[in-house]
Amino acid sequence: MTTLTHNPAASDPATSRPVPQPKKSLITRLHMGTGMVVGIVFCWGTYFVLRHHFSSPYRINHDEGLTDSHNVNITLLASMFMWCLGFLIGIGALIGPFRWLIGKDLTAEEQLYLAGDGQDWKRYFRYCTDHKVVGIQYLVGVMTLLGAGGTMAMMIRTNLVTPGSHFVAPHVYNSLVGLHGITMIIALIIVSTGPFGNFIMPIMIGAADMAFPRLNALSWWVLFTAIPVLCSAWFLGGIPTGWTAYAPLSTQAGPGMNAFLATIIIFALSTAVAGANITTTVVAMRAKGMTWNRVPIFVVGATISVALAVPAFPTFMAAMIQTGLDRTFATGFYDANVGGSGWLYANLFWIMGHPEVYVILIPGVAALMEIAPVFVRKPLFSYGAAIAGFAGIAGLSILVWAHHMYMSGWMPSLNGPFMVTTEFISIPTGLLFLVLIGTMWRGRPWMKLPMLSVYAFIWDFLIGGITGIYLSDVPADNYLHGSMYVTAHFHYTLMGAALTGAIGGLAFWFPKMTGRMLNERGGYISFWLVQIGFNVLFLGMFLSGAEGQPRRVADYAQIFAHANLISTAGAYSVGLGALILLWSIIHSARSGKIAPMNPWGSKTLEWTVPYPVPLVNFDEPPVVTSDPYGYGRSVK
Amino acid sequence: MANQIEFYVHHDSPEKVGRRERLGVRILIVADGSFLFAMIFSWFYLRNLNTNNAWLPKGVHSYTAASGWWAVAAFIVAAIVHRSGLAKASNRKMTSVIALLALTIGMVYQWNQMAHMPFIAQDAAGRNFYNGAYASNWVLLAGANMFHYIITIFIALGLVIRGYRASVDPVLEEWRQRTAGSWFTWCAVAGILAAFTTSFK
Amino acid sequence: MEHHDDEDLKPTPGERVKQVLKDRDVRQVLFFFVLFTALFSILGLWAYPRWMPNIMSKEMRGDESIMIWFTVISAPIAGIVLAFAMESFIDIQKGDTPPEDGPAISGHTSTVVIWTALSFLFCTVAIVWGMTEMNTWSQDAIAKESSAMVVNVTGAQWNWSFNYPAQGITTHELNLPVNQPITFNVTSDDVNHSFWPVELGVKVDANRLAITVVHVTPDKIGPFEVKCAELCGIYHAYMETNGQVETRADFDHWVSTVKAQGGAQ
Repeated sequence: MTTLTHNPAASDPATSRPVPQPKKSLITRLHMGTGMVVGIVFCWGTYFVLRHHFSSPYRINHDEGLTDSHNVNITLLASMFMWCLGFLIGIGALIGPFRWLIGKDLTAEEQLYLAGDGQDWKRYFRYCTDHKVVGIQYLVGVMTLLGAGGTMAMMIRTNLVTPGSHFVAPHVYNSLVGLHGITMIIALIIVSTGPFGNFIMPIMIGAADMAFPRLNALSWWVLFTAIPVLCSAWFLGGIPTGWTAYAPLSTQAGPGMNAFLATIIIFALSTAVAGANITTTVVAMRAKGMTWNRVPIFVVGATISVALAVPAFPTFMAAMIQTGLDRTFATGFYDANVGGSGWLYANLFWIMGHPEVYVILIPGVAALMEIAPVFVRKPLFSYGAAIAGFAGIAGLSILVWAHHMYMSGWMPSLNGPFMVTTEFISIPTGLLFLVLIGTMWRGRPWMKLPMLSVYAFIWDFLIGGITGIYLSDVPADNYLHGSMYVTAHFHYTLMGAALTGAIGGLAFWFPKMTGRMLNERGGYISFWLVQIGFNVLFLGMFLSGAEGQPRRVADYAQIFAHANLISTAGAYSVGLGALILLWSIIHSARSGKIAPMNPWGSKTLEWTVPYPVPLVNFDEPPVVTSDPYGYGRSVK
Repeated sequence: MANQIEFYVHHDSPEKVGRRERLGVRILIVADGSFLFAMIFSWFYLRNLNTNNAWLPKGVHSYTAASGWWAVAAFIVAAIVHRSGLAKASNRKMTSVIALLALTIGMVYQWNQMAHMPFIAQDAAGRNFYNGAYASNWVLLAGANMFHYIITIFIALGLVIRGYRASVDPVLEEWRQRTAGSWFTWCAVAGILAAFTTSFK
Repeated sequence: MEHHDDEDLKPTPGERVKQVLKDRDVRQVLFFFVLFTALFSILGLWAYPRWMPNIMSKEMRGDESIMIWFTVISAPIAGIVLAFAMESFIDIQKGDTPPEDGPAISGHTSTVVIWTALSFLFCTVAIVWGMTEMNTWSQDAIAKESSAMVVNVTGAQWNWSFNYPAQGITTHELNLPVNQPITFNVTSDDVNHSFWPVELGVKVDANRLAITVVHVTPDKIGPFEVKCAELCGIYHAYMETNGQVETRADFDHWVSTVKAQGGAQ
């Protein structure tokens, strides 16, 4: 229910008029703290009840074998889900649906309270429905995940600095690889659509808020509950699989695997809800005059990305539920003895997994397409080609999944058709390059961090894209599949393209999200350290892959020593650059130079509102009369 | 700035808000549909592969095709009844109660069906397991059907209660009925697809 | 100034090209295009043959050839994209205010069409190349089916074993006679593994209770490595063993040595 009534007096922090607060009720008393308390109570309560019920499930008596591990898995999974449910109850997420059920919808005052009207920093720790608050929450969440994933990456590369280093034991190494992977994948799925899709996008389309403000808060807090669940994997013995969690290794894995399953199932809920919210907002709440051909390209990209995630992600959730059922009730989805097959898992996983990488890629590219016109002072080159590129990629992405399974032996006769669809996806991808270089042509580029990201993207994504073409070729994949070459390829696309785009987006929108300018010197130093380090790291990895080093290996033969040493050196540069970026972000957010309303001279709507952005974004609903790329002297 | 905040908000009409809500629910239906697709894919793929000849091992009982249809009949009834309520507002109080009753009966049937599954076996060490991929896929589809019952009963109950409490905006509520209609229809379609799938033993 | 006699003043094609080349931006793009194309071509022609392992079969030859020639074919694509990006980058302007606006070019249909057509062409080349290669391999396998020597490969956590049904032995090392077509029937005892005899240029996953098949004809004598290419648990990194391609005589000698030791090594 999105009709708000508003008492101007209640939301006026700048004056000293007394601000009438809604009367103390359950809603005003709930926050992250109460959520954690209820969540922990539910979690531990479930744990102890089930443990008692199964009577000492941790005494792994070999005569009982599997039964014990099934009970362990049931206990852990149930506890994790009850943590999630308990937290949501404790923070008040279920009040809305409950009040709907009994026919007493939330009043206007209650909704305004939930929107954080007139509240201070504490609203960031409540179930706050203001999309700007949710955007900042996502930004902090993303940075946390990237930090954790990055730390794991440093440990991986440190272990691989020389052959036989034994920096960590093999099972720890395998856990690092798998957990680094899933942490980064989750972080990258939300890295642009989370902070910018929530904070900036509604302002960009001239809306006062998103379509479903309560679902907005829900998508963030559900994601939040997944974070401790994911971390718990480390305390439960880690995981033996990669982020792809192939069965039957996953069904036979120890207790830590449950944390992985629960994380994905919880995250899938967050993604579905966020997808519905963003898509509906863009379809139904654009400002007057903002016809489809005047929508900023970032908004288009973000929408296509989440709209693709909505049908893609549930198949992963299904695969995780099937894995969970195999691990708890001894079903046989992936047990060949009773008619199951690992190929079923691989198909369900990659039906999600391939669209997923485009869910990751598209918003990053779209952010850079938003940035390029501003910083070369020229219109976006061929808005139509950009749309065709994104839509073509999204559409084709659903038809390519089994290129990840060329060597699996599941159905060799389908390798050819999947090769065709996979190669064809390079056509819409190529259009994205054309749009960017066409925008740059004849422009006068302005040296700022967002623009540097555009250049870095072009180099990185070019390498990522072309190496993807080798991998999509079945005969070449005979050699390359399962080698470090694949790892280098996807880091170039996911990190070099999508993450670079997100960093550019952060540098671009930082002034609007924090009211301050991002420290330039810190930004440049970090940029070069990261980009140079990144290229050293992963070009070294193309080398070790071409030489024949398999992926996900804790140790390797002597002939790969040089390549690995180079890669590790690059990794340390990336790590240092990332730390400097982190410092810059925190320092600038607190005490950076105060930003003017439109520091970049951009023509999109978010730059027409001041900071702090008012609760309802605009004083008057804006009316749009042209697309936002009206730069440039006219060409004769 | 703060002084002038003149209050602009979602002064969107209930019609617009209602349409938006329906679109959001339809997008969630797409997600649910994808999950159903995964289950149906799983069924037919494993049946086709028949690894180790263990899709439906000898001696393992399977359900009749009809029982699958009975398990989803309540959704079809609820969808039809709800639709007729949509057409004529005065009937709505009654149709929403009938829908709720039908769904409750359906859920009890589904629960009963799951409680008496005929395909759990024990191995040499006395550990329980689902004997065959048919059994595994069946229990997942039935469980998902159960999940649909729980959510749909929540919605149906809400509609009944809200029908009796007058404190709701009639235009918005009308749209909410339509949104619920989208969900009920989807559950009926999902049920039909699931029953169709399970009829292939 | 008005010119009435347009015929005389229309530029010739040669003059038009000269006009275009006078443009500084165009010259810079051309320079970088040549630079980057050369860079990537050299990479393909020089680097991959050095980096990739010994070629010990036709299949491996095909794999390496794709790496080299796809790099060379895509070099001009990389060249053109990087040339435009680099040309823009070297013009970058510092300052606290944005530079002055560039020309308002919001699209150019023929460029988009040509670009798309070239992408399509490149794709088609890649697809045809790949399909032809795949077809050759599979025709080859069919033709040699009857004369192929069967080796049953079993992956288990964490070792490989090779059963030679015709010779009646099972070993942990993969010796093969040169120029003999081999059919590998691959399976797993537990989780997914991936059978990768590196220098032979083929690979296929090992799955429980399923047999996946791959064919190869080693055509060069020498040692090769067998690795596992699918994460399979703790000691995945150590799931390697040695292989040897040898003369028929050496191979038979090896078989009888193994048999003398009891048929399994």
